Amino acid sequence: MRMKKLTLTLVAAAVAALFAGCQATAAKQESATAPAKMSATKMAMKTAGPAPLAPLGKAPIPPDNKLTPEKVELGKLLFFDPRVGGDASTGCSTCHEPEQGWAWAEDFSRGYPGTVHWRNSQSIINSAYFPRQFWAGSASSNEKQAKSAAKGGVAGNGEDDIMEARLALIPEYRKRFKEVFGTEWPIIDDVWHAISAFERTMNTTGEHEVPLDKYLKGDKSALNEEQVRGMALFNGKAGCINCHNGELTTDLDFHNIGVPPNKRWEEDGLAQITFRFEQYAKGQTEKGYRAAKSDWGFYYRSKNKWDKGKFRTAPLRYIAYTAPYMHNGVFYTLEEVVDFYNRGGVDEEGRTTLFPKNKSPLIKPLGLTDQDKEDLVAFLEAFSGPEIMMEKPEQPPYAPLFNMAELKAAQEAK
Amino acid sequence: MGVRVTTGRTLLAAVMGFGVALSAQAAEYPAIGKLPQLKINNAKAELGKRLFFDKRLSGDAAVSCATCHVPDKGYASKEAISPGYPGNGHFRNASSLINVAHKKVWNWDGRIGTNLNDMTREMLTEDYTMNMDMRIMQERMKQDPVYVQMFKDAGYGEPSNGSVRKAIPEYMKTLTSANSPFDKGKMSTSAKNGMKLFKGKAGCIQCHNGPLLTDQKAHNTGVPENFDVFLDPMNHQAFIAFTMFQGIPNYMNLKRDPGYFNITLLDEDMGKFVTPSLRELKYSAPYMHNGMIKTLADVVNFYNQGGGKDSNKSDLLKPLKLSGKEKKDLVAFLEALSGNKLTSDKHVWKQPYPAEYEAIANWTEVPN
Repeated sequence: MRMKKLTLTLVAAAVAALFAGCQATAAKQESATAPAKMSATKMAMKTAGPAPLAPLGKAPIPPDNKLTPEKVELGKLLFFDPRVGGDASTGCSTCHEPEQGWAWAEDFSRGYPGTVHWRNSQSIINSAYFPRQFWAGSASSNEKQAKSAAKGGVAGNGEDDIMEARLALIPEYRKRFKEVFGTEWPIIDDVWHAISAFERTMNTTGEHEVPLDKYLKGDKSALNEEQVRGMALFNGKAGCINCHNGELTTDLDFHNIGVPPNKRWEEDGLAQITFRFEQYAKGQTEKGYRAAKSDWGFYYRSKNKWDKGKFRTAPLRYIAYTAPYMHNGVFYTLEEVVDFYNRGGVDEEGRTTLFPKNKSPLIKPLGLTDQDKEDLVAFLEAFSGPEIMMEKPEQPPYAPLFNMAELKAAQEAK
Repeated sequence: MGVRVTTGRTLLAAVMGFGVALSAQAAEYPAIGKLPQLKINNAKAELGKRLFFDKRLSGDAAVSCATCHVPDKGYASKEAISPGYPGNGHFRNASSLINVAHKKVWNWDGRIGTNLNDMTREMLTEDYTMNMDMRIMQERMKQDPVYVQMFKDAGYGEPSNGSVRKAIPEYMKTLTSANSPFDKGKMSTSAKNGMKLFKGKAGCIQCHNGPLLTDQKAHNTGVPENFDVFLDPMNHQAFIAFTMFQGIPNYMNLKRDPGYFNITLLDEDMGKFVTPSLRELKYSAPYMHNGMIKTLADVVNFYNQGGGKDSNKSDLLKPLKLSGKEKKDLVAFLEALSGNKLTSDKHVWKQPYPAEYEAIANWTEVPN
């Protein structure tokens, strides 16, 4: 064990050294030749290998949205309040349900009434650590994610003005917004700040620490033998570490791993509606709108054809509670996920991405034995600790802003 | 005056037995009378009819145009304040849509003066009316084979939100007054007397003129505020959202509906509302922009006392000193401006809508 730790340290040092070297090389190449498609970071990883798994540290807090207990408490109220949405039925917790891993336990997120979403709802647990949110990384902060989700046609479908007006008529919110943000009336932008502050406290740290992190910090009893064997596979033969690496268990990069389209698009009229709507909403060309038969993922942001079908590497902590998996929720168990990778990014019916050219060269048949697969699943379970539960707060009630005497006086003064 | 007496119209009126002074007053205004015929494309109107009654045209598929514009109520809302979108209320009474295609200005505050295409967009997308993302609406239409056929038959090609905004106005053209005693020239004696008062002593003609019986201009008549707008937070939030979005100053403290002030931001326009048409009033109670007056008799009483209390009130409003009989005659005339109810299959889509969206077969093979 001690030897292993020493090796890891040495590797880390080597990575750092190589990283600095490669950065210089990459910069030189970029100026001399055609634009390099591979970033310096990726070059370093390729040369030196991925960053080893590391325990989760403290969540970064952006300087423009500092945490205070009052703000977090307000954010919690808002997170659970369905009035932050179009018809007052759909708030954050509607699709990020505590009892469903702070996500939604169906392939597609449930979506606004009269619609269904087209991607799997991601857990808010540990979302604080990620510099970008959503499967294709389209939001650059929790604040922007919250806003985008509350307003999206198949999510919250709320408009700024109506949501802001609602909060103004809830005395408890007026009081709390004034305390926290110092404004006379609640301001919609502060709603996203408060919700994000709450989310940044929802992490697998402290009492919710996961067995893997205990192990990585030195508690060797935190993993059983099976899981230790699984870890070796994760870091070695199965190659998971290539993308699921470092402190965050994700390289934060976008890959096409071969996930096939969700069959629901072939069978469910409501899902077909959303599918086409999203092509518009994500800025497709008409040609793309007509042709698309799967989620083009990172392409919608980059508009590079080699990015079709790429999604951000999903973080692995808390996954025991967040089934189903993948951007479109096609796999319901971790066993299915391992089988999928073992086949080289192919499902049990032989289906894969519609963009095989873009499939990551890292995804290949793994040749895992049944024992290997069991060990790997056991190790994946070590990424989840105790379930994070919370009593849902009561919704503060509405109250009229003016009383009858004030209204009569105004009428008289007309 | 002297000049006007010599006009043909006044002479004719004199022959018909009106006082010269009164008919001179009436002659200053566009004549009341029959509405012109509108040319209607049946296939487009039929599509518009199906759309009008379809709840799938709202964000959460819970309300249709007909939720607030109820056929049995002259396509107006039966509540003083329209119900609005779920999770919200409203702050005004939905106007009757009968003859709406003849108007030149829409909404109580007159904020749309272009066409019914814009008006349709406004109602579909406003968050307290139908809260529809029209890109989703368009895809919903494409998912319904009946619509795919109807859009094609109407010459629109595949369903699009642009065509929805054309088809609904085409259907609006079919909502036109039919067979009112006034239009047929078959009014009771009482109604005929009422019409004389309307044009004369009561002075209604000053604002209610032309075939629609409205000058389509904004006036302040001093209608009292409907306090339910402010006492019910569902309504008040819609009011706040509206005034915020429109850029009305001090919207959080407003305790009155600003009306036409919304367009000009001039204090003198505070509390002005566009004169409504007087056709089909029999069905469209309650009355006024906020439904504050329940019956036509009460409306007549309101004007008989010279309107309500407001420092901006129109100078045209003065106590009328109408007798009990005169008031009854005036109501009889107002009722004679209502024709048949437009509640048959001809105007109302009565066939069921599919409960679910059928999946498009061979989805992977056919282009979207």
